Amino acid sequence: MRIACPFCGERENGEFTYLGDASPKRPNFAVDSGESPEGVEDAFYDYVYLRDNVAGYMREYWYHGGGCRSWLIAERNTVTHEFRSVTAAPGVGAAKPVQAGE
Amino acid sequence: MVDYLWNTQSPLQKALVPGRHGAAGAHVGVTLNEVRDIVLVQVMARRGKAADAAKAAKKLFGIEAPATPKAVTGKTATLIWSGPDQFTVIAPRTDEASQLAAMVQVFAGSASLSDQSDGRCLIRVSGPRGRDAIAKFSSLDLHDLAFPVGAAANTSVDHTAVNLWREANGADGHPVYNMLVFTSFADSLWHTVVDSSLEYGVEAASARAA
Ligand SMILES: [Zn+2]
Repeated sequence: MRIACPFCGERENGEFTYLGDASPKRPNFAVDSGESPEGVEDAFYDYVYLRDNVAGYMREYWYHGGGCRSWLIAERNTVTHEFRSVTAAPGVGAAKPVQAGE
Repeated sequence: MVDYLWNTQSPLQKALVPGRHGAAGAHVGVTLNEVRDIVLVQVMARRGKAADAAKAAKKLFGIEAPATPKAVTGKTATLIWSGPDQFTVIAPRTDEASQLAAMVQVFAGSASLSDQSDGRCLIRVSGPRGRDAIAKFSSLDLHDLAFPVGAAANTSVDHTAVNLWREANGADGHPVYNMLVFTSFADSLWHTVVDSSLEYGVEAASARAA
């Protein structure tokens, strides 16, 4: 499996570390304008523990630790290992910091 | 009280045995050099300041800082891309304090600097079979079309982080590759490079950066 880092180009997968599903968003109740205590707990339980078991394309975090040390987001087909896209995760390099809720 | 003196020495003090190794014969296939006495500074642009950092680099070195994996040589230093919005400055060590001071001044406010001068070891691989030797332990495509003069890469060799870049061809017309490695891994990488090169005939030496 080879992964095309948007900064370094195509590299062997041994240079990368898989960090799981990139879809879950940390609940942000300041932005989401508040919920009940039970709602907070459920949302965090979901965020921390529950994952979809996707057969097909999913968005994943990959870390190019053996290269440019950037966090990346890849769309990978879990059945065929085909990568559809690999982009920089928000906040990589000297880009503007990630905004709350982003 | 016993006076204690720090003894500065190369991380390859034991590993590097100058002279010929491996296949004997009239031809040296791979020339290995440890390039000593370098000044090495990691430059990382601050949040939203990448353009300012590039401007500062232009002012001090007279060249555009690399925004893609490349090595570019300016008036007094070579700048090697080392990640998004960051690069490594490498220069022969002349007057280290003033070399660093000039950088601190020009990059003030736009980038963070980290002095790596004694943190990395520079190994230069050249000669007619240098590329063949590297191909044994690197997963990079080193073909002229994929990795021409001026190309650079952050990569892993033997699970060790290596900054690899290609400078102008040597006087013999063959490619010259530079590998920067953490000093604590230099000994191990050196053995890997030597082992890969033995069958071609090796000439090993250390040299002052020029
Ligand atoms: Zn990369």
